[in-house]
Amino acid sequence: MRARDEFFIGFFPIPPGLRPFLAAIAVALILLFAAAGWFAASTQAAPEEAGFRFDFGRQEVTGVLSLHPYPVIRVTEGSERLAAGRTVMLSGGGKFAPPQAAALDGRLVKAGGVILRRGDLDMLQIGGGDANLAAAEGEAPALSPPERLGRWRLEGEICDGKCAAGAMRPGRDLSHKACANLCITGGVPAVFVSAAPVEGAEFLLMAGPEGGPLPPEALAFTAAYVSVEGEIERVGDLLVFRIDPATLRAL
Amino acid sequence: MMLSPAAAMSNRVARIVAVQTAALLMDLARLWLWAGAAVSVPFLLWGVGRVEPNARDSWAFRPLLIPGVLLIWPLVLWRWFLLETGRDDWAKRHLPPRRAHAFAALLLAVLIPLTIIAGLAIRQGPPAGAPVLLEAPE
Repeated sequence: MRARDEFFIGFFPIPPGLRPFLAAIAVALILLFAAAGWFAASTQAAPEEAGFRFDFGRQEVTGVLSLHPYPVIRVTEGSERLAAGRTVMLSGGGKFAPPQAAALDGRLVKAGGVILRRGDLDMLQIGGGDANLAAAEGEAPALSPPERLGRWRLEGEICDGKCAAGAMRPGRDLSHKACANLCITGGVPAVFVSAAPVEGAEFLLMAGPEGGPLPPEALAFTAAYVSVEGEIERVGDLLVFRIDPATLRAL
Repeated sequence: MMLSPAAAMSNRVARIVAVQTAALLMDLARLWLWAGAAVSVPFLLWGVGRVEPNARDSWAFRPLLIPGVLLIWPLVLWRWFLLETGRDDWAKRHLPPRRAHAFAALLLAVLIPLTIIAGLAIRQGPPAGAPVLLEAPE
């Protein structure tokens, strides 16, 4: 049989004349897919390291819980990683606010959970049950009022604070948007990821114009690069961006 | 960073053109699918049984063909026409596509990477605008 008549059939031994060719193709394909994978990965944004910090252990803090615009705790007695004076956003399991929080607005509470951290963004994921979020003994102390920082126009992205803090890799496009909107409508704090730091902060807790949750029309602009105007105030160490939804503009 | 009025206007025009192009593409896609739906009704009710003996008196599989007909309805119409009018020459049926395989393979080998690279190259990057204080606190 002439070499040119050799024919590859998967379930028969490889014809000797085809072996170098098939070996070269196999190596080329491995290299090609490795290169394609590297190329696709190199085009993605590489945000700083973030995620659940189970290595910090369970954090238990005492503080005043506020549900406006989203659940946050203003820490009065801190833990190793969350010092007193901090204002920390809270989430429950999955894409929801901690369900125990609804009855505790404005009260002194003891909260326990695991930290999610990206840069200067911290979130405490509260475990289920009263052992993880319950009223503490004593009255809520008077806290410093919010410090007004003026009206700003910012460019950046509206995300949910949990995925942005590292529960998931920040994504792109439609699936990222659907994920963020599910989190935000589930009561997870919405954050504005600013293109450049504002008063030292890259992540701002978002609120509607009256200080409540984000208005529904803002959900059309999540997970896209936008420009928006609004009032910024500092609550503890957290900046709150009360947006004017009429000024939301896709970039 | 504030844009100059001319640059801002140019940005607005570019966005309007992009939105109108997207709307046009969506309208064309919708029209294409409606045409496919119009073809799929007579083809799946009558045509497929007339041109394919194995399909006669078989009904359960026909709804499964609807998505395919929606997409490739011109080809369905063309094949239906050939088979109905007896112009189909089954022996030659696959010859033209076979002749085109080499060219198509080369074309796809170039077009697919080009499309991916172009898509990545024109993808929107993060904004660079610095925060602007519009009104200082009272």
